[in-house]
Amino acid sequence: MNPLDKPYAQLALALLTVLVLPLFLKSGILATEILIFAMVVAACNLLLGYTGLLSFGQGIFFGIGTYVAGICLTRWQVPVPLVLAGAAVLGAATATLVGWLSIRRQGVYFVMLTLAFSQLFYFVAYTFSGVTGGDNGLLGVPRPSVGGTALNAPWSYYTFVAICFVAVFAVLVMVTQSTFGRTLLAIRENEGRAAAIGFPTRLFKIEAFAISGAVTAFGGALHAMLIGVAPLSNIEYHTSELILIMTIIGGSSSLFGSVLGAGFYLLLADALSTVWPRWLLLLGLVLVTVALFLQRGLWGLVERGYDLVFRRERAPETPAEEH
Amino acid sequence: MTDIALQTRGLGVKYGTFHALAEVDLQIRRNSVHSIIGPNGAGKTTLFHALTGRVRASSGRIELDGRDITDTSDDDRVRLGIARSFQVTSLFPNLALRENLRLAAQGRTPWQALAPWRRAESNAEALAIADEVIERLALAPVSNRLAGELSHGQQRRLEVGMAMAARPRVILLDEPTSGMGIDDIEAMKQLIRDLGRDHTVLFIEHNMGIVMNISDVVTVMRLGRKLVEGTPAQVRDDPEVQRAYLGNMITGDIA
Repeated sequence: MNPLDKPYAQLALALLTVLVLPLFLKSGILATEILIFAMVVAACNLLLGYTGLLSFGQGIFFGIGTYVAGICLTRWQVPVPLVLAGAAVLGAATATLVGWLSIRRQGVYFVMLTLAFSQLFYFVAYTFSGVTGGDNGLLGVPRPSVGGTALNAPWSYYTFVAICFVAVFAVLVMVTQSTFGRTLLAIRENEGRAAAIGFPTRLFKIEAFAISGAVTAFGGALHAMLIGVAPLSNIEYHTSELILIMTIIGGSSSLFGSVLGAGFYLLLADALSTVWPRWLLLLGLVLVTVALFLQRGLWGLVERGYDLVFRRERAPETPAEEH
Repeated sequence: MTDIALQTRGLGVKYGTFHALAEVDLQIRRNSVHSIIGPNGAGKTTLFHALTGRVRASSGRIELDGRDITDTSDDDRVRLGIARSFQVTSLFPNLALRENLRLAAQGRTPWQALAPWRRAESNAEALAIADEVIERLALAPVSNRLAGELSHGQQRRLEVGMAMAARPRVILLDEPTSGMGIDDIEAMKQLIRDLGRDHTVLFIEHNMGIVMNISDVVTVMRLGRKLVEGTPAQVRDDPEVQRAYLGNMITGDIA
């Protein structure tokens, strides 16, 4: 195993990201958005990379988090920690439901089911405009103080999100290292065998969904507070797609790959969109490149780079003798 | 407790309209080595699928230690003490050999593994079982290699080890020697005989040398039905069996 894949290395890299972003970015909003998407994408990675589930439903959970924040903050002035906790709980509950129904089918049918749920929730949000604001979304989502600290300045909100990000990332690292996470890997590798040795595999997949949904909704709530709006677009199918694309670009073999994926996408989008209005076309080319040449994503590139620099002199491992 | 570990009554499995298995009555004695033989398509693997719960029985009953398990799910049956190996090697190829066995040992207490805060290493028992199985299968030199990188013989041994790690009462081995070299076959024969001392072993095998050598009871199947059952000597001399095999397959010596 590459030393960079060790849990403490992953956590150190996440911490480093949090500290380095303010040094290189002028916009606190962009930096905050990167961290929010980084945790959401890492949650998607838990499903795609660790469990082998390609879920088009991540936008549902993201949107639900957004609406929880939008509704609680514009109508009832609920304290921020409660809003975030509520978003996570509702996200987990929705993900449990969607997961429970979707994983009854496998492969393409599973993917289609998550896609169908994604559309379903979009139209529910669109239709119940009394609650969600419909097409306009919920405007004027405030960013209340937390524990007496005002978060109105972009960089002070960044600090708050950074703390949340590191905590969430640490939880996800713990989950992947746990006996639960290792069982997910086994299910991804060979589900039939995992069931044959006694694991109720559906239950494990549903739990992975629930954790992923909780983190995604948590990120969605942070996002609504970042942009001051709870837009309909956050629950749209496009958001699901965006999260998946970031996951794949980053590489699904490591959680920190997701941070790279989110950062790469958002920074590239930020840079390209000022140069050329049709920048999405270039992004398409990037995706094609990743799919053709970088199947382990940006993280695979990092691993290869590490091996080149630090392991060049090491002889290949001596093959163990047969028998 | 009765002397019978596993028994079926009138067990049948249908795939669509095709009767893969019909009217099978089996009684597997505790701590015996019971082998199932028969030509291809005789329903041997289907029988295993039905016993482990991978496919549902369409008729009949299955009892484990007198308890009806006909409608018990496959993962529940593991907890009740049935474990199997597969005819086509089915491992976790990108996980280390030791991790494969740890998972198999953890499979007996799967609810524990649902806790996302528990470290895998905190289950010392599972680790100990994994190491014990590695020792017993003489796979220690390769225990940290990925299962997919092992030689065929090692993979077949690991396949059996996966069943052993569940600490089952009844262990079902589906052609444990398929594709193995001569030396490996001898080692596997020893292992199965050994397993028969503290487990109930039910195994499917085409290698008559092994079947005749180590079985206490042999059941011959044909076209989804039980044809003959008896000791190796009885089965070998049975005219019906000789007809089924055209007299040319049962050549193994009886030790």
